Amino acid sequence: MKAIGIMLAVVMVGISTGFAGDVTGKVSFAGTAPQAARLRMDADRFCKAAHKSPVTSEEVVVNKNGTLRNVLVYVKGPVAGKFSAPKDKALFDQVGCVYLPHVLGVQTGQSVEIRNSDNTLHNVHTLSEKNPSFNAGQPIKGHKLTKKFEKVETFRVKCDVHSWMGAYIGVFDHPFFAVTGDDGSFTLKGVPAGEYTVEAWHEKYGAKTMKVTVPASGKQTVDFSYSN
Amino acid sequence: MFEQRAGIPVEQRSYGKFYIAFSAILFLGTVWAVWDEVTVRRPWKEYQESYYAVLHERLDSLKRAAIEEIDSTDIVFYENALREAETRLRTNEYLQALEKKTALLSELDIATREWRFARSRSDAAYYQYQKTSLSGADAAAEKAEVERHDARIAEYAAQMADIEAQIAVFDTTVNKHQDALLKATADLRGLYVTADSYNLKLERASRAPRDIKQVMLADFEYTPFTEIKARIDRCQTCHLGWGEDVMEDAPQPFAKHPLPELLAVHNPETFGCTPCHRGQGPALTEGFAHGFEDHYWETPILKGVETYATCNTCHSEETVLKHAKPFTKAKQLVLESGCYGCHEIKGYTDPPKIGPVLNSLTSKTTPEWIYRWVGNPKEYNPHTRMPNFAFGETDAEAITAYLVKIGRETDYSPQRPRGSFAGGSASRGKELFEAVGCQACHVAGGYTSIRDERGTSYDVAPELTRVGSKVNADWLFDWLKNPRHFNPTTRMPSLRLTDDEARNLVAYLVTLKDERNLPRVTLDLGNPEKIARGDALIREYGCAGCHEIKGMEREGKVSVNLSDFGRKKVEQMDFGNTKPLGKTADFDYQENADGTVSVKHTWAGWVYGKLKNSRLYITDRIAQKMPIFSFTEEEITLMRAFLLSMTREVALPTYQHDFTKRIKDLEAGRRLSVHYNCIQCHTLEDRGGFMSVKYEDPGLGPPPLPESQGAKVQEQWLHSFLRNPSTVRPWLKLRMPTFQFSDQEIGSIQKYFLAMSNQDFGIRDYPATPVEAKYVSPGRKLFDLYQCAKCHPSGAADLSELSASDLAPDLSLAASRLKPEWIVEWIIDPQKLQPGTRMPSFFYEGIAPDEETLGGNVREQAKALSTHIWNLGKRNR
Repeated sequence: MKAIGIMLAVVMVGISTGFAGDVTGKVSFAGTAPQAARLRMDADRFCKAAHKSPVTSEEVVVNKNGTLRNVLVYVKGPVAGKFSAPKDKALFDQVGCVYLPHVLGVQTGQSVEIRNSDNTLHNVHTLSEKNPSFNAGQPIKGHKLTKKFEKVETFRVKCDVHSWMGAYIGVFDHPFFAVTGDDGSFTLKGVPAGEYTVEAWHEKYGAKTMKVTVPASGKQTVDFSYSN
Repeated sequence: MFEQRAGIPVEQRSYGKFYIAFSAILFLGTVWAVWDEVTVRRPWKEYQESYYAVLHERLDSLKRAAIEEIDSTDIVFYENALREAETRLRTNEYLQALEKKTALLSELDIATREWRFARSRSDAAYYQYQKTSLSGADAAAEKAEVERHDARIAEYAAQMADIEAQIAVFDTTVNKHQDALLKATADLRGLYVTADSYNLKLERASRAPRDIKQVMLADFEYTPFTEIKARIDRCQTCHLGWGEDVMEDAPQPFAKHPLPELLAVHNPETFGCTPCHRGQGPALTEGFAHGFEDHYWETPILKGVETYATCNTCHSEETVLKHAKPFTKAKQLVLESGCYGCHEIKGYTDPPKIGPVLNSLTSKTTPEWIYRWVGNPKEYNPHTRMPNFAFGETDAEAITAYLVKIGRETDYSPQRPRGSFAGGSASRGKELFEAVGCQACHVAGGYTSIRDERGTSYDVAPELTRVGSKVNADWLFDWLKNPRHFNPTTRMPSLRLTDDEARNLVAYLVTLKDERNLPRVTLDLGNPEKIARGDALIREYGCAGCHEIKGMEREGKVSVNLSDFGRKKVEQMDFGNTKPLGKTADFDYQENADGTVSVKHTWAGWVYGKLKNSRLYITDRIAQKMPIFSFTEEEITLMRAFLLSMTREVALPTYQHDFTKRIKDLEAGRRLSVHYNCIQCHTLEDRGGFMSVKYEDPGLGPPPLPESQGAKVQEQWLHSFLRNPSTVRPWLKLRMPTFQFSDQEIGSIQKYFLAMSNQDFGIRDYPATPVEAKYVSPGRKLFDLYQCAKCHPSGAADLSELSASDLAPDLSLAASRLKPEWIVEWIIDPQKLQPGTRMPSFFYEGIAPDEETLGGNVREQAKALSTHIWNLGKRNR
């Protein structure tokens, strides 16, 4: 009787945690990093004055530890279960005539606050195909728009006023995505146990996929590698 | 038994057994007849049963999904709210108020009754009073009686008002609690809105009767004896799901129609299916309804792209059909391929000749080139529109002899002295060729992206890859400077080249030599017999259908009239020596390994073979003169759909699309836009815009011409722009060419743009447009605040800081170019007027970034901005 009770307790715990594991890893970059292009902001006095040191393109950023920044890593394809959009807004900012962040991952139905923190005119022009494309001008500092994306898609965002400004937004119908930062690592937390394809996507070097089996608890490590 | 029976006298014989037997047969027969009638003979019932089964299953699973979608915490929340509201109905506060209210209501009832009685009594007393006073007697007593009753009325009225006031007090309390319950119920129900909508559909589906769905068009068409004939259409008896969203990917016959936007203007509930799809409308079994099992049914169902052929039943006058893109393309193919040069085709009576004038060829090229071209033009340029007549050497020589003869009689000569072309730089010429816009129509130097984007088997202008070996440089210089000097009807425009630019282009083009090692030919061109033979051949093959040729001005169309070709019977078609393909094959044409060709012996098969190789059906006895085109499979299929549409049968005028002035204007413009290849660069009514593939940044390519173009630019400006294009976007290297349009053509284009925007042609005094003073200063403020000048330089702004692609048109030009109303609409929502434009919406989702100026009203702010822009231009005027 006691044994059954313990077993039941174990099963209950199992259900409440949902038998989910984490997927973590690094995106490394082999070879020499390409020289990042300098962004010339002469066309807008405000942008030029906003930076004391030269600004370089964020297209390819290789970190000091030999990893690649701004790689969007996510579980590809459907994940069983229902994932409601987080209540927190995602922030997509324009600071010093550069998009912040350069690559943003959001969930379908999640509110995205698009903010202009610059004292100059910006416009946010999404080149999306599945989500309706929009092109909104933000002429006043502190101007905010709130937007939701309903379709799974990764698309480019550009500014028509400042030709150097570009960013990417990835929309997913589950919360298992991450963008690599300055240590090139990523963690997809609480992925339900099972077999998945995990994809890494970079704006210049494209996508790479890996098959992953997520354990019922604990971690599974996946590393990606890009090269020139 | 019968012998025994014969022994019984006739009057004593019993017929009971026969009677029972026959009545049993009659009974069973009746049972069978009823059973057969309601089941076997109504196979559509089975379809309906399985349709509703599928529909039920799909709706049910959607309903369940919708319920699952509901957040359980929301359910708990609203259910609690409901329970709380219900509890509130049990509180003393509510119950007492309700009780008192009920008691007061019955009191009110009594008071009201008494009040009514009092009124009746008063009326009766008044009658007595009147009667007495009219009879002349003293009526004082009666009068007092009336007054007494009136006093009672007032008493009861006061009592009622008092009770009502008391009720109102309790009412507030009662209503407060009852409203809370209603709201909680509605809130909870609100979670199930989606599920309920599926429930409603489910209920409707379960109650749907199983019957024949019939549409009748009482007056759609004429019989062959010109009597009005009704059309009966029962297709929807089986095709039940045509408008049902959940049946989108269902199997036939239940699938949703793939073109809902087309059905929005041709509602199957009133228009039926057979006007577009053909088939045998009244039939109720698949084979007969689709017409394949009924050998005598002449119009079986149309499938795939062929279905568009029936558009012409009502829309034969239109060449652009918004919801029938493939058919629009087919009509464009017919226009561009010049079929009407040889064939009479309904709706294509007088388009201009498709080919160039051939009267002065010797000034342009050599007799050897002409000879080779006549022999087989595709050998020199596989993408030419000119089809291959496959003339033998003798015939090609004779035709060349005639063309050279008339060429020598020409009075054309280049406007500049010989050698004026010399001194250009080939490398600068190449740069210019790539930048200024030549590539929109001409392929040269291996750049084929625009041709690939266009995707037709032919180019609209000659490929120039071998032009250096074809034309002479003096002619080329003259041609580039002014194409209409050589050919007054050419569609080649002038690019307003300076002499130096033209010289550079000539220098580049003459480097494009024919690298093939061709054997030299010696031609006998002066021989009068050959010239006479050439004359006869040109007439026989109908060259004048496409080309203007001296001496051939009166030639007619040499081939058959195609206006009723869609009704031609397969029995009237000759298949020559081709082998028949089985009727079940799912292709129409096959080239066999032994060099023979198999064709399906049907109308469609014959046409496919003919368009694939027009000389396919040649035999020893039957000559064929139609030249060989090199259409792709897609083009053949489209052209075949067009030919299928060629019937004399049309719908009655009530169904015909009104050929109004607006449609006439649209049609004239559409034909010009194909003739002058406007759509090669500009996207017009969803056609063309092929040149934009060349530009990664659409801001550097030719601007699209959306439907709002007519509402955008001023009539006077458009007129002078079309006559002599001026610079709107100074950063573009690409030039809008000068087409040397006639006044009539310019008028047609103007009316075309206006008709697209649903506007009428009129002359307006734009400079006199009044400016409202209240908008002036907010306009200036907003113009600065929204930083319009960041992209739009005005007047003499310094452009050096901006890269070319960052620029937008100079707004000081706006007042003399744009219509003031359009500027307002454009500012409010640019994406709506031109999807994908780089101009952002400043009033995204209808909210002004500056919420103070003009009360943050979007339209008011747009008016203020447009006023400022209008004033910018006035200063420049």
